[in-house]
Amino acid sequence: MTTTFETLTAGDIIDGPKFAVSRESIRLFCDASLDYNPLHLDDDYMKGNFGKTHFGGIIMHGMNNFGLISRMITDWAYPAGAIHRRLETRWVKPVKPGDTIQPTGIVKSKQVTKNARWVLIDVMVRNQNDEKVATGEAMVEFPN
Amino acid sequence: MAPGQAFETDFWKDANLRKVWDDIVPGAPRKTIPYTLTRAAIELYCRSVGEDHPIYFDEAYAKTTRYGGLIAPPSIHILLMFSCTPADDWMRSPGTVNAGQSWSYNIPARPNDVIRLEARALDKFIKRERLFVVHDNVFFNQHGDVICSGRGWTIRPE
Repeated sequence: MTTTFETLTAGDIIDGPKFAVSRESIRLFCDASLDYNPLHLDDDYMKGNFGKTHFGGIIMHGMNNFGLISRMITDWAYPAGAIHRRLETRWVKPVKPGDTIQPTGIVKSKQVTKNARWVLIDVMVRNQNDEKVATGEAMVEFPN
Repeated sequence: MAPGQAFETDFWKDANLRKVWDDIVPGAPRKTIPYTLTRAAIELYCRSVGEDHPIYFDEAYAKTTRYGGLIAPPSIHILLMFSCTPADDWMRSPGTVNAGQSWSYNIPARPNDVIRLEARALDKFIKRERLFVVHDNVFFNQHGDVICSGRGWTIRPE
């Protein structure tokens, strides 16, 4: 069934794509984003401590989570004629090579303003152990 | 990044030129450089996150959509953040940890857009012994239209 603003209700689920994280996927994201921070590349560097934090090895870019959530939102919005307007995310747990992550969204509420109709969506990314690695909120516009 | 200038992938190389937390002045603009967004760069970014929607790849399909042509995914600002800043920008400091970001999208970026960034640190603070800086960014296309705007919270290396 085609998603429409009228038929959406709080609690509706949006399933995002599963994503297998590997050293190669992280390296590809470095090349695509131009973010070559050694956090994502340098095993020796990552043996150290970062203040109170010890990662123990290279980690995936937090913004890779962001890109996956955004992909989920646009793939859901485009067929409905809707527009991805906002995404806010927080990283709550590092993601490492060997993890498999998956974003999901839950429709939180709808609101109508002067010129548009809005859907607010809670988003999260979980790993293979069902642990939250990222959380946030998205806004999608359904033009009048 | 100036045309023909290779992107420096060794983030240690200019580390001594970058501002540390103590030097960063909230409100002061960051140096930025215009960047021409190519179709190849969009396609590489799409591949890195598995984007496969034809609106990013198939020109004939894209012409039938509300956008009238190929566009980049909204999250292309992830690439633009590094392509529109010079090698001594403090966002490249090794050990910079991204704690979260929020972005609002106005119009999509498109292949061959010449992108301009206005950016600054907006705030800095200490929380649980960690040194935070909030950065504030707006990307424009060659027509002066806002593509997107966003903020990020980073933990700075000590």
